[in-house]
Amino acid sequence: MAGTLALTKAELTRLIHNKRYFIFTVAFPVVLYLLIGRQVKQSAYHVAFGAYYMIAMSTLGAFSGALNGNAQRISQEKKEGWIRQLRLTPLPANAYVVTKVLVSLATTVPAIVIVLLLGRFYGNIHLPAWQWPVIAVTVWFGSTIFAALAVAIGYRFAPEQVQPVTLLLYFFFAILGGLWFPLGGALGNVGQFTPTYEAVKISTDVIQGVSVPPGLAVGLAVWLGIFTALATVVVRSTAETV
Amino acid sequence: MVVLGAHGVRAGEAGRTKLKQGHYMNQYGTDYGASGHNGGSPEYATSGHIGGGSGYGGYSYTGYASRATSSTAAACGASHGGAPVVSFENVSKHYGRLRAVDGLTLDLRAGETVALLGPNGAGKSTSLDMLLALRKPTSGKIQMFGSDPYHAVKSGRVGAMLQSGGLMPEVTVRDLVTLVTTLHPRPEPVNTTLKRAGIDQFADQRVDRLSGGQTQRVRFALAICGKSELIVLDEPTAAMDVETRRLFWDSMKEEVAQGRTLLFATHYLEEADQAADRILVINRGRLLADGTPAEIKARAGAKRLSFRLDRVDEPFLLGLPGLVNLEIRRDVVQIQSSDSDATLYAVLDAGCRPREIEVSSLGLEQAFLAITAEDDATNGHANATNGHAHTGETN
Repeated sequence: MAGTLALTKAELTRLIHNKRYFIFTVAFPVVLYLLIGRQVKQSAYHVAFGAYYMIAMSTLGAFSGALNGNAQRISQEKKEGWIRQLRLTPLPANAYVVTKVLVSLATTVPAIVIVLLLGRFYGNIHLPAWQWPVIAVTVWFGSTIFAALAVAIGYRFAPEQVQPVTLLLYFFFAILGGLWFPLGGALGNVGQFTPTYEAVKISTDVIQGVSVPPGLAVGLAVWLGIFTALATVVVRSTAETV
Repeated sequence: MVVLGAHGVRAGEAGRTKLKQGHYMNQYGTDYGASGHNGGSPEYATSGHIGGGSGYGGYSYTGYASRATSSTAAACGASHGGAPVVSFENVSKHYGRLRAVDGLTLDLRAGETVALLGPNGAGKSTSLDMLLALRKPTSGKIQMFGSDPYHAVKSGRVGAMLQSGGLMPEVTVRDLVTLVTTLHPRPEPVNTTLKRAGIDQFADQRVDRLSGGQTQRVRFALAICGKSELIVLDEPTAAMDVETRRLFWDSMKEEVAQGRTLLFATHYLEEADQAADRILVINRGRLLADGTPAEIKARAGAKRLSFRLDRVDEPFLLGLPGLVNLEIRRDVVQIQSSDSDATLYAVLDAGCRPREIEVSSLGLEQAFLAITAEDDATNGHANATNGHAHTGETN
């Protein structure tokens, strides 16, 4: 465990110097929120648009951070042989993946915190104090599910293939999950099964003050199970090529 | 003969391998047998390795044993008693129909410096990958320090450096070495490692801005940053210039002097010759020879004997003891011999008076080429090494 933490610390140090990460994970949703968050006066998912958009943007930042950056890095490190090098050290075999997930859990925090703070002080969203941490944790959990998917993609695809694959998944889960705009109709019916939608809807239900349907939480757990299983299968099957 | 007895410990393994290679005996057995040198030494009969039948050993050993084994016997004798540090037991690795490693059996003893020598695609990297738990053998069993490879690696008793091993980018050399040192149960001080690997000069540079040779030395640092008992190096000097290579082997000798066991793969014969006290020749996934550099040279007929002879009698020359290869151009006779003394005496004993006699040593290179070429020829793989190169060493 000490080794895993040492590696996690080194990874976080690297990340602080990475501009790309900040642009995609933090800057993009922040700018979108500043541009749009206060402009729309309707409601979405039965709450004020500003509140919905705050939740959507923090989810967007966190989920793209968990998905894009990590998949790219894992793939690159696999290609360059760093994963292989680590396998020659006393570090346990699964520590690398555990580290990547831990780093992912940490990297999604800034996007969530900053966008929620913007919502409170720029968007003038007033919520009961207990709702903020509940929303933050829900969005965080919903997004970091993608850390497992990122592991699967990073192990499965070469660096130059990772970009299109993650981009495709990014659009898929962002649009169908209703992160860019609330979805209705047929797309909305399909979209309500995505983890991004589930994370947003739990949060808006909390704000709205209605009881959260258990199906949403179960959905998140199922997605976590699916992505984790996928990552496990991919990591095991590529063991000899790493 | 006492020396030979000591050597018999290792010769037992060599015998196992040689037994499989019947072609050796078939091709040269008669020549060697006719020499009669075997008969006189009972040690050989009981030690088993010569009895294994390759035939060559019988007397090329007599030529070299006193010189070659006295040093290794002294160095390894004390540690030969314990369990092997590494053992491969009939290990194979198949990729589809390709046999990258094919029934490999070998033991490494504590304190040995062993070169795994073979052409590209011989199965060296695959063997090391399996030893380091990066790949699983298709069949057979590998043990390291009495446990399976994975747990041996995770116990920190092995330090390894692979060609394909990469480094974490975006950090300094010192940070990287510190990180990997932290992972070790018995770490060396970081500054010691930096000095030993010769990378203290550029310890504060970023890892992704180093030259190939510098990167290689950082990899080496990662292999020695813990107090490991076994060091495994795959083509350690591949990206190094001559000077760096010399420095590398100097520092490597210090590691070995501390009692560590060293296994390295190389296709530089010179390197194997100079650095190793034991060489395993491997080709197309099989072990072809196992012995000291001197023995390997002897095995393939390591002396070249040339002279002029007025009346060349080819059948007579072909029957000479120790003869491995014969070339005749007019009155010039060139013989590759595993025992040039015996060959020459036989020529003289037959009443010939050759002129311009020259006896020269063949390097390990010719020995190696002879061993692998013979293996390829016997198995009908004229271009086997080329055909093999792709899959055997892919990572």
